[in-house]
Amino acid sequence: MATTATAANDAAPRRKGRPRVTETAAPSLVEILNLVRTEQATTRQEIERQSELGRAIVADRLNTLGDLGLVDESELGAATGGRAPRRVRFAADRGRILVATLDQTALGVGIADLGGSLLMEHHEATELSQPVSALADRLVTLFRWMLERHSDIQLYGISISVPGAVSDGAETLFQRATPGVLPGWESFPLVETLVAAFDAPVWLRSSVETMTMGELHAGAGRNQRTMMFVKVGKRIGAGLASDGVLFRGAQGAVGLIGSVPVTIGDRTGTLDAMAGSDHIAQDGRLAAENGTSPILAELVRRGAEITALEVAQAAQMGDAAAIDILAQSGRLIGQVVATLANMLNPALIVLSGSIAQTNDILLASAREAIYGACHPLVSRDMQIIRSQMGSSSGLVGAAIVASEGLFAPPMLKDWIMTGQPQAHPLFQEMKKEIARRKVTKGDMVRPPDM
Amino acid sequence: MTIAGLGPHGERASAPERVLLLPEDMERARASGLRVAVVLHTLESDWAKQQLSGIIGMLGNCGVAVIDVIDCAFTPEVQIEALGRLIEEAPDAVISLPVANSKVAAAHARVSAAGIKLILLDNAPTGLLPGKDYISLVSADNFGLGKIAAEGLSPHLPDGAEVGVLGYDADFFATNEREIAFVNWMQIHRPDVTLRVQRFPALSAVAATTRALAEAHPDLAGLFVVWDTPAIMAAGILKMLGRKMPMTTVDLGQEAAIGLAASDPLVAIAAQQPFRQGESAASITVTALLGRPSPDWVALPGLAVTASNVVECFQTVWRAPAPQEVLRRLRLVGLKTSDQHPS
Repeated sequence: MATTATAANDAAPRRKGRPRVTETAAPSLVEILNLVRTEQATTRQEIERQSELGRAIVADRLNTLGDLGLVDESELGAATGGRAPRRVRFAADRGRILVATLDQTALGVGIADLGGSLLMEHHEATELSQPVSALADRLVTLFRWMLERHSDIQLYGISISVPGAVSDGAETLFQRATPGVLPGWESFPLVETLVAAFDAPVWLRSSVETMTMGELHAGAGRNQRTMMFVKVGKRIGAGLASDGVLFRGAQGAVGLIGSVPVTIGDRTGTLDAMAGSDHIAQDGRLAAENGTSPILAELVRRGAEITALEVAQAAQMGDAAAIDILAQSGRLIGQVVATLANMLNPALIVLSGSIAQTNDILLASAREAIYGACHPLVSRDMQIIRSQMGSSSGLVGAAIVASEGLFAPPMLKDWIMTGQPQAHPLFQEMKKEIARRKVTKGDMVRPPDM
Repeated sequence: MTIAGLGPHGERASAPERVLLLPEDMERARASGLRVAVVLHTLESDWAKQQLSGIIGMLGNCGVAVIDVIDCAFTPEVQIEALGRLIEEAPDAVISLPVANSKVAAAHARVSAAGIKLILLDNAPTGLLPGKDYISLVSADNFGLGKIAAEGLSPHLPDGAEVGVLGYDADFFATNEREIAFVNWMQIHRPDVTLRVQRFPALSAVAATTRALAEAHPDLAGLFVVWDTPAIMAAGILKMLGRKMPMTTVDLGQEAAIGLAASDPLVAIAAQQPFRQGESAASITVTALLGRPSPDWVALPGLAVTASNVVECFQTVWRAPAPQEVLRRLRLVGLKTSDQHPS
């Protein structure tokens, strides 16, 4: 296995004289690659201007990045009088990222390029209550299947979206151990299993966090710096992007707004229980039974099951009872979100989840509640819209999490000279530790065969 | 029968009965003077013809005029041009089978943006979302079809068998789902079986891929192919190589039905129901045009077909009698009177 420049540096004592190329080149390589990757600079001239590095240095570093396959200068840009400059592009196809979303009843897997664009996805029913080992087996099998279809391109990382807050205690640049996200997860080394099977660093984030990242980078939040994302489903959660970066709080437990108590009339309960999709479905069934909703009653007559989606569709068609149910949920969600908006002053609030995305009533009443309760300075330019990405945002966001993690300067500086994130010294250390544990504990971390 | 798979974005399936049209719906549709256009990948295959019959027949029952039926000849450019032309024609709805993924996404999005109801068949282009960019996707339960094929092959495999899987080397939702489901079922229910997967990039490469698979694994004791046309081609190659093994596939084509009647080499087939799928697509179209809610994804269950039920399944799927060759092999025709009524 390759050793990194840093690992080699650590091994040898520091000498006097000129610094090594690896010591001086890495920071400028990191800076230039990230300027190109984030499209802040797309020509050599723009790189020179933004990085304040000289022409010779920029040329040298771009040659190195080109040799590593991380930038591509094969295209010509637009001429601004004189010869057209070469366009410098991030080579997103240099590597692949495996992504997955786990929720209570389904498993989604995908494969993305290094820019976070999803190339393939597959979803299947599963039960999260099954043993983690069985879930890990299935995940490994599906990941292997995806990789087979992209076998000629190197894997750079793995990112998983999970249905619970991910404490960042086990994360230093990437996950170095499996955190106890859900009951039972402490006893099974999911992260270590994935590392052993695929030889790539792993990131874990909550589903709301990955959806926030997906929306920020590929959906309605593109070009925004401060965005609040609200997912309305059985549970209601929120994510926050601050200054273009996901805000993770002290323990990675941001946005658990579903547990905020709310009151309607004489009833008090959590936001989840009073405005979530279970509540909408329950009120919808009641409206069908007591005849206040003719559309839902008609659906029942035709043998359909009433879920929150049916209530949302009925509301969209003008059914008065369904409109009331959705409007009430929207108002409650809006009241809680308004408090957060007054505190955080977002430029954009995105409502997501299948009900919010397909229903204008919930969106309209949430808007009314938010704008009504916000300070005029907060609401003046604030936009409130529905998600543009649907359920793929979790997979896209997971890919962005890995991409941001791989190319974050503290991570990148220690692998860029080799062109392979696997060469990072902390990752090498983690692999040795996994191998050591495997020897002492037997064959615990064994990926299934395809 | 339950639906085993999830939709292209992880949607839960709705049964076709969910969009059943009542007599009063048909009356309302008839009174509305609706116009619909159909855009298919091809009009040549039996599957496409049957699906089209289902669509046109059901729309006819509802008094909806089919103003155009377009054959895209598997070509994205033809489909893009056709959809553009249809927007000018402004039908009330378009029923389309996207022939590619991202290439035809924008063209389909434009149909929806023009206020025309869009109903998709079999495939949802990247980035298009149900309820926003299209009304519903109607497809077979492809994950379920893969499972049926695995269940059908399993009894013919000895313990510890090596089984070949001929997949399709393209990013196509339907064939991906079938392959994943077949492999998944075998891993859960037949852990003794070793799977050998190879994929062909085009029908022209089926012969070479089959040959490579068979030669690399001389002990292959079974084969699954992701649809019937390459399955028949693979069967021919294996016969030429002198290799005999049980096979399963998806789709009950004429040739496949004949092979299945003799249980040689096909021992089971997971059949789609194109006629019923067409009827469901038409029902959803009418449902949407009447302003009633439509599910995101309607999936039709597959049929498990063996030699014992191939005749009735053929009739169910194709709305036509089974081929004479099938009937002969099953000794349903060609019998002398004295054979039928021995004295």
